[in-house]
Amino acid sequence: MEERVLPGAADQDRFDRSRRVGWLDLESVFRSRVLMLGAGALGNEVAKCLALSGFGRVTVVDMDHVVGSNLNRCLFFSDEDARSRSSKAEVVARGIERLSPETRARAIVGRLEDLPDGLYKEFDVVLGCLDNIGARIHANSRAYMARRPYIDGGMEGFSGKVMVCLPPDGPCVQCGMNRSHAKVAGLRFSCTGKGVVFHEPRLAAEITTTSIVSAVMVRECLKVVSGRADMALRNTLYYDGQRNVAEELEVPLDPRCPNHPAKVLQVSENHITSGSVQ
Amino acid sequence: MTFRLKVKNAETGATVEMELDDDNTVDEMIESAATFWNKDMGAYVLRKGKKVLRGGSTLKESGVMAEDVLELIPDPEGG
Repeated sequence: MEERVLPGAADQDRFDRSRRVGWLDLESVFRSRVLMLGAGALGNEVAKCLALSGFGRVTVVDMDHVVGSNLNRCLFFSDEDARSRSSKAEVVARGIERLSPETRARAIVGRLEDLPDGLYKEFDVVLGCLDNIGARIHANSRAYMARRPYIDGGMEGFSGKVMVCLPPDGPCVQCGMNRSHAKVAGLRFSCTGKGVVFHEPRLAAEITTTSIVSAVMVRECLKVVSGRADMALRNTLYYDGQRNVAEELEVPLDPRCPNHPAKVLQVSENHITSGSVQ
Repeated sequence: MTFRLKVKNAETGATVEMELDDDNTVDEMIESAATFWNKDMGAYVLRKGKKVLRGGSTLKESGVMAEDVLELIPDPEGG
């Protein structure tokens, strides 16, 4: 049958520009199920990028409510949300559906530690937009156990970091941690929430850094769901916004990391050189 | 074996010379450098070239040698 071309048709297609990206598998993006942990500054920006990119189903998890000091860096939050102490997860989920009517967004108001076993397996990819090390360790290990790609973002002032973990291969977030992480693992940066110990951040969150870190996270997510994990970050991206420098640093797999039991076994039988199993 | 190397503060560009044994750990170096520069409480990593050094490993295991220049960088934890 003869194909018909209508003048201006491309301008009517919401995803016309995305379709021009050769490696992007939009049908997979539309079908994909994303678990987004954290709906703070990073979560708002990640949600915006997920919605505009056309991700089909997004589940947002956060235990906090909106406060006034969130408003200088959180796209979806309003003064009214702060006054009414709205749930961050619910506001962000509504915001996603407003930006992308085809996306089904669901909010889970609660601690990620309380999520039911097996939940991670329901998703194609997990995005960590978290504000503390303890939650990162938890999310990373659950994603690793469920064999789901985990993309972790972190930021502080003008510094940012993105790590892509692709189980069962390669290092995970915990592999890159040391004693300084352990000392602050139980502390949160956040300003709200129940039963938490607060600690003063070195620098406040900052929207331009947040935008860059979240954009990298969602771009890597697009690669993963498009079946192009080969193009994804294999090391950790560190971003220094003060110097405008972004650099990939290798985080070696830690044979003592509890998320790599098979590797530990191999190590006990062989030798380790420079962090890799020989 | 005792040797000397330099640690650079990624946030300020300052450097400090440290005298170490090859059985000192990366964790100990991070702690010493952060204390020397009165760093705020938080997570830090130490890099050698393009590689983040593993906290619990000794300098010998990490391949750190005399005259190396390592860099202490903050590991962003916020979201």
